[in-house]
Amino acid sequence: MDFKIIPSVCSYCGTGCGVLFQVMDGRLVDTLPMKTHPVNEGKLCIKGWNLHEHVVSDKRLTSPMLKKNGHLQEASWDDAIQTTVEKLKAIIEAHGPDSVGVLASAKITNEENYLVQKFARAVIGTNNVDHCARL
Amino acid sequence: MQEQIREWLEQEKVDIFLGYKKIQGHPLPHCFTKDNLDETDDLIVGNARYSLEKMATKIAAEHPELKIGLLVRDCNQRALNVLYVWNQLRPDNIETISVNCCPSKLKEHGDCSYLEPEKAAPLKMMIGIDNNMDVEAAEEFGQEDRYKRWMYEFQKCLKCYGCRDICPVCFCKECSLEHTDLIATGSVPPEIPIFHLVRAVHMGGRCIDCGLCEDACPVDISLRLLYRKVNDIVSDVFDYKTGTSADQSPFNMLGEEVTLELKPI
Ligand code: SF4
Ligand code: SF4
Ligand code: SF4
Ligand code: SF4
Repeated sequence: MDFKIIPSVCSYCGTGCGVLFQVMDGRLVDTLPMKTHPVNEGKLCIKGWNLHEHVVSDKRLTSPMLKKNGHLQEASWDDAIQTTVEKLKAIIEAHGPDSVGVLASAKITNEENYLVQKFARAVIGTNNVDHCARL
Repeated sequence: MQEQIREWLEQEKVDIFLGYKKIQGHPLPHCFTKDNLDETDDLIVGNARYSLEKMATKIAAEHPELKIGLLVRDCNQRALNVLYVWNQLRPDNIETISVNCCPSKLKEHGDCSYLEPEKAAPLKMMIGIDNNMDVEAAEEFGQEDRYKRWMYEFQKCLKCYGCRDICPVCFCKECSLEHTDLIATGSVPPEIPIFHLVRAVHMGGRCIDCGLCEDACPVDISLRLLYRKVNDIVSDVFDYKTGTSADQSPFNMLGEEVTLELKPI
């Protein structure tokens, strides 16, 4: 029997609530709000309360997917990135850079979000950058 | 206390002990075991209160033979009594160490997060239900005013289910609050007042007034007061004081006979 409480931060939105994961026999079984966390003071929204479900869900993507013959199939990162580059290049060539939009994420760091907008503006050449919450 | 727990683990009086330990500066619930005896030196009581008995219930569901020790404040002990009544934990498998809780002006120190309840804001005092009110004071509002005030509280609900998820005595496999025939889905706030009243009815004879639900409610709904009212009725009608003993509850009909009788109203 092994039971652990592991402090962490909710990754669902930019608020960053403190959570406690309950791990039983190596399985993530439950989430609790951290009572002494300065951000959420022992409270969570419904997404935070159910974090464990999305971590262990079998619907969770664990590798990139590429559509081949109309079906999504698992692919390697190299293949996925190569395909994306080719398609983006073709689209930009045919319709101009403003035909592309980039959505940044609440789940990545500040610095990564900086890179996302840099990628949109400097590499693709568009100001179409927005946040995933406006998806 | 640390020594006693160490002894219990060494002598296998308990297989695990649920207490608290400071981790990354936070007093967090922690499971102490025989494999890591020296860790018992770091055991603290901590002023933040978690439902260790709810963790014990989850552990016992998968490991029914395990002997579990835990630190108990008054509220944890009352919750344990209810969990015994409802066969969620077996008293033979539970060992407790009581801690100095319930902070009061009458003593120097008490380990609890529920120190001084926050004062309600002016708007809440004017049109809602102050969380610090007692049942009698809340009943002084006229019926219509009272209804409006409760509805003001309920319409703030985010349907986070935190009140249920944190509650030590909410252990149902299927919860009525998620039953689509009882409560319509797809909107926030949830269907009111039925969402809150369904839970209130279920807390009759079950709520041990620990206040964890209210602590967890992101919008400060006066949940504790609502369940206090329900349990006042339980006490008046059945003469049953929830959580004060591990005796049969009037709502628990399993067993050979019902021992409690209806009191004439
Ligand atoms: S619990 Fe809710 S509010 Fe807090 S970080 Fe997670 S998603 Fe955001
Ligand atoms: S709210 Fe009612 S149905 Fe849901 S877990 Fe609690 S007691 Fe059970
Ligand atoms: S006060 Fe709230 S959390 Fe505590 S037993 Fe009652 S309903 Fe559950
Ligand atoms: S904790 Fe508060 S906001 Fe969340 S479901 Fe319960 S009453 Fe609603």
